[in-house]
Amino acid sequence: MQVSCLVFLPLLTAFLVIMTPRRFSYLIRWISVFGTGLHLALTIMISFLFWAEAKGDGELLRTSLVFKLHLVEKISWFDSLGIQYFVGIDGISLTMVVLTSIIIFAGVLASWNVKERAKEFFALLLILVTGVFGVFVSFDLFLFFMFYELAVLPMYLLIGIWGTGPKEYAAMKLTLMLLIGSAFILVGFFALYYGSGFYTFDLIKLATANFPVDFQRWVFPMIFVGFGVIGALYPLHTWSPDGHSSAPTAVSMLHAGVLMKLGGYGALRIAVFLLPEGAKYWGLFFMGLTTINILYGSFGAIWQKDLKYFTAYSSVSHCGFVLFGISALNFMGMKGAVIQMFSHGIMTGLFFGLIGMVYGRTHTRIISEMGGLARVMPWLATCFYIGGLASLGLPGLSGFIAESHVFLGGFFGHSLQSVGQSGALMKTFTLIATLSIVVTAVYVLRGLGRVFQGPIENAEFANLEDAMLSEKLSTGILVVVLIVVGLYPSILIDVIEPAIRPVLNRLAGGL
Amino acid sequence: MLPEIIVLITAFTLMFVDLFLKRETRYFLMGIPLGGLALAFISVFFLSNRKSFGGQFSLENIDLWLKVFFILCAFVIAIASFSFILGESKETCHKKQIYSFEFLTILLFNLSGMLFLVSARDLLTLYVSLELSTLPLFILTAWKRDALSSEAGLKYVVLGALASALLLLGFSIFYGLTGTMDLVLIGRSTNVSPLFWFASVLVISAIGFKLTLVPFHMWAPEVYQGAPTVVTAYLSVASKGAGLVLMFQIFFRIFGASISSFYFAIALLSALTMTLGNVVAIVQENIKRFMAFSAISQAGYLIMGFLGGFHANSQAVLQGLSRTHPLIALSMMIGLFGLAGIPPLSGFIGKFFLFSVAASSGFYWLVAVAAINSVISLYYYLRIVRQMYIEPVLETTVFPMKLSMGGLLGSLVVISVLLGLVPVFYETILWTWKN
Repeated sequence: MQVSCLVFLPLLTAFLVIMTPRRFSYLIRWISVFGTGLHLALTIMISFLFWAEAKGDGELLRTSLVFKLHLVEKISWFDSLGIQYFVGIDGISLTMVVLTSIIIFAGVLASWNVKERAKEFFALLLILVTGVFGVFVSFDLFLFFMFYELAVLPMYLLIGIWGTGPKEYAAMKLTLMLLIGSAFILVGFFALYYGSGFYTFDLIKLATANFPVDFQRWVFPMIFVGFGVIGALYPLHTWSPDGHSSAPTAVSMLHAGVLMKLGGYGALRIAVFLLPEGAKYWGLFFMGLTTINILYGSFGAIWQKDLKYFTAYSSVSHCGFVLFGISALNFMGMKGAVIQMFSHGIMTGLFFGLIGMVYGRTHTRIISEMGGLARVMPWLATCFYIGGLASLGLPGLSGFIAESHVFLGGFFGHSLQSVGQSGALMKTFTLIATLSIVVTAVYVLRGLGRVFQGPIENAEFANLEDAMLSEKLSTGILVVVLIVVGLYPSILIDVIEPAIRPVLNRLAGGL
Repeated sequence: MLPEIIVLITAFTLMFVDLFLKRETRYFLMGIPLGGLALAFISVFFLSNRKSFGGQFSLENIDLWLKVFFILCAFVIAIASFSFILGESKETCHKKQIYSFEFLTILLFNLSGMLFLVSARDLLTLYVSLELSTLPLFILTAWKRDALSSEAGLKYVVLGALASALLLLGFSIFYGLTGTMDLVLIGRSTNVSPLFWFASVLVISAIGFKLTLVPFHMWAPEVYQGAPTVVTAYLSVASKGAGLVLMFQIFFRIFGASISSFYFAIALLSALTMTLGNVVAIVQENIKRFMAFSAISQAGYLIMGFLGGFHANSQAVLQGLSRTHPLIALSMMIGLFGLAGIPPLSGFIGKFFLFSVAASSGFYWLVAVAAINSVISLYYYLRIVRQMYIEPVLETTVFPMKLSMGGLLGSLVVISVLLGLVPVFYETILWTWKN
């Protein structure tokens, strides 16, 4: 019951927003904030419930190789097709749900200033987030796919109506690319459904199937690339810079912060978990692609003049870490990938939120037109620096934990495929990828320095005000999370580890 | 047979009562078709599964659903056509010699044909009921009697006659091969011979015509464009439905045993149809032609058809609709997304089901083609959504919205969502499928 509440609370809030007459625009905002705030509270409650259940299992949970789900709800739905309403929570889901809950709350707070057609804006935002929550807790592939599409589509209107710049082009490009990805995913799902011989979409049951090796080798890239599109896998990432920079603040926060994580999540949960042989066959190939991802994104960010493009390219680079860690196919790498999903979600959410706030004041996003803004908006500048430092992997912030895991996984991890040459290749890829740490430091420090340091270049900027209360709240939450995870990472790791063991067990050939 | 009888009686009653009533009292006449249809709708639920007329007419679970569907379609079209029927002034009626209520009478005849078609289990009944449902459509297409509409009607008649001649020839060969009219018996007693293949090709072409499959689709754009908009909507839903029923009857009852040898042909026709329909739809400017091509790639343009009813003939007219008529824009968007197969709307589970059927026979490439096609179709649906939601308002687009139309659209939207979430309907189909 709790998990269903988690999924449908945003939908209920969206319904309330739709029912509110258009002229009470402040009421619409309050309903949205209250709804998402309640949702955050519910998420925290569920985290405690999860802990309680997990503790009950005690030591067993830490070493258990069996897939363990909590708070399960299972209702048969389209019976003859073997489709169920099957939701539940494990460590990875919980991490992602907490992330989404935080980002949407911060996002709603950050879009306090949306006045134009506010009702539709908040309603669509909440419907979108319903889809995201649905994806993270579904363990039936049909349900998963349904929520996935629900999460992708409202994006078209959100960017098309409230966006800036070439918004219609960006919106169409983003929607179509993501849906072509989902077309591949759908074909893959059908292959799983019929290939398993079980005629079910139940993820747990499918995980007990013995797929033939040849079958896995052609289905795995289908599903992985399908999810790779939304996870910004090179060379299918091109929707991301355009989409993120055209989207309104809350939407870029949500999209870069959460939606891109659907890719990593699906790749890990479905592609690698169900098709281990396929994963071993293609692992190195995708590791190579994601190495390009990481470097291409960070080099791309150096050249950007627009703050949003700057962040979007850095997202491409950071999302590369997620898929990189997953394709390393070992414990460290996958753990790092999940932490990176969380950490990057919070970090990018913070970035895009801050950019929206700065843009709202200066009305420009061009880096060279700004300068010295730290004098007039110290709060925003501080938050921006903390986010930037997390992004370049400064120890003490969450980015360091994630990236160090991923690199260790890539370099030292005993990969299941690391026999002879491929082990050396993995080390090479990792070494190349670590270059991005330097490049990231270059673009982050240079970019932030231009924007915030030095004298105030434009006289008009001298009288700008710092963040107001809702903005302080929105950015404050995100900064606190970044620091907490950076200083006390076990809070995440303890939850994630038991959820990753079953995946490794599959990879090692166990059932 | 109760619903068929009720529909026919209603049609005749309407025809005669119309003769003796003055124009002013005609509003009263509206009650007759609506009442008759409602009665027919209710009567379906009192039917039981049985055979009559020596097995020529029989009823199964799925037939009941199809009948309900056809009656609902006719009901919706009847309501939507009221403004169209009553809107004609006395002078134009006199000049064009239009007797408005004939429209509904003819519609009812067509409906009875489709209802018979569902239950026919015999070559002759099948053919006659098909003709009964097709001939009225020719008349309805030419209803406006202007150049476009008459041309459309003529084209439809000529090509339709050709198709039905092919069908009849195919049927007579089946009869010659087996010596029986009964569909199931034919299916059991056919030996696969060259003549059988020849007859099958003839019959499949006729089905292709009905369903606007490529390469038998050429009539559709002209007819859809020329016909009155209400009729276009009806054509794209009910007539397609009838075509599907015909296909179902022939493929599962006659070809039942040898159906797997038709798989590749079906897959090829389906891939061609989807792709051509979609690709050509992208470049259409006239919204009805666009509908036609899009309907070639998939049936079910009900909601859009109504919007055409507001005399919107170019896509540009929809600009800013979300602000002038939020409800219409919303229902149109939901309708379009439903067609594109976006969850949780009815189109999604429908598509999912179709894909799974293709995948179960190992046609993964067809699933991929279909999935990519549905993304292509989404491209042009999104363009319309853009016109409605993103582009600024044009002043000229304001047109009045009737309460009845609002209610109709609202209920269609609700049905579309419910069909996507409630499994009963698909469970019945699947049940029939497996038996």
